[in-house]
Amino acid sequence: MKKILLIIFSFSCINTFAQDNIINFQYSIGFGTGDLGDFIENPSFRGFVFDYRRLTENNIAIGVEVGWNVFYDELNYDTYTKDNLTITGKQWRYNNQVPLLVAADYIFSTEEKLKPFAGLGVGTMFSRRNTNMNVYTIEEEAWSFALRPELGVVYDISFNTGISATAKYYVGFESGDLPTQSYLSLNFGILYLLY
Amino acid sequence: MKMKLSFFILALGAMVAGCYPDNVDYYDEFDVALTHYQDDYDFQAQGTYAMPDRIVKITGNKIEGDDPEYVPDVVATALLGMIAENMSNLGWQRVDIDEDPDMLLAPAAWETTTISWWYDYWWWWWGSYYPPGWGGCCWGGWYPPVYVSSYTTGTLVMTLIDSDLESASGRPISQWTGAISGLMSGAYNADRARRAIDQAFAQSPYLETN
Repeated sequence: MKKILLIIFSFSCINTFAQDNIINFQYSIGFGTGDLGDFIENPSFRGFVFDYRRLTENNIAIGVEVGWNVFYDELNYDTYTKDNLTITGKQWRYNNQVPLLVAADYIFSTEEKLKPFAGLGVGTMFSRRNTNMNVYTIEEEAWSFALRPELGVVYDISFNTGISATAKYYVGFESGDLPTQSYLSLNFGILYLLY
Repeated sequence: MKMKLSFFILALGAMVAGCYPDNVDYYDEFDVALTHYQDDYDFQAQGTYAMPDRIVKITGNKIEGDDPEYVPDVVATALLGMIAENMSNLGWQRVDIDEDPDMLLAPAAWETTTISWWYDYWWWWWGSYYPPGWGGCCWGGWYPPVYVSSYTTGTLVMTLIDSDLESASGRPISQWTGAISGLMSGAYNADRARRAIDQAFAQSPYLETN
């Protein structure tokens, strides 16, 4: 009887952030800002974020984040000149962003079903920019130092599952072939607890 | 849980691969006119040029000693006529190679292909398709910042060379390059060819000599 009571008590106390390991798969929508926004005005509806966190004491979760967003635009047949090189044709632009970060979040409340949190990520971001015309591509790449502040909420939908909505702002500082690359992403995900 | 994880990882992979945006829908969207010039070269001081009557076709065998191939005469004649017309409109006079022209205009074409060594192979060697007096064995001076993949598309490259000048390594320098891509994707289309060739010269006003 004592064991049964203990088990019942344990389950009643479980919520999404009561476990050690949390994974979060998120669909991501990106909005380019700065140089990236100038290059491609369209938002990116193709992207994902994968987060892993381990809950420590004091409402702090630490872990890693991997993501991907591709921005895409198609420009009309026109003439484009850079220095003494001129190209006329249709242009297709791609910008791939892949952040690889270590991250820490502060959860404002672990007791409620709705849990707001704020976080910061630090690491690197790989950027690849392609300007395609015909079979030609001008390819520019950068591995840059990256920062990523984040605000979000998690809502528990069962003892080991939750849903999340987050806003992340990525800044990859000037590096390689590219100036500073930045974008805002809105992410909607499903969390699981790992045993 | 492992099943769920596997499912999500697979779904994620499918999403990445399946949602990557493609680009070209129609052949004519391939059409591109690319031009480049040496900004320290005085084109206005020139006035005559020579151009062969055929367009050599880069087939990939010349480097191994095979005879060169040429673009079919009916197509080459039309393309060379468009080039000559544009050069004439810019004030250039076409002369024979024996008449000591100020510049040589060497056209070359290829129909496809996987020319992955664009600048360290073909870019240097198509000059050898032309006989001596047509700029020597090599062609160079500018490496385009491009890569070439394996689409099936046609490219016509026109180079203007001043045979009196050469680079520090002894190679002729292309003072002007016009590359027209897309001409041979699908069937040859004279209207598309004209539009592309006219565009290459229209975006090169510095070639005007009159």
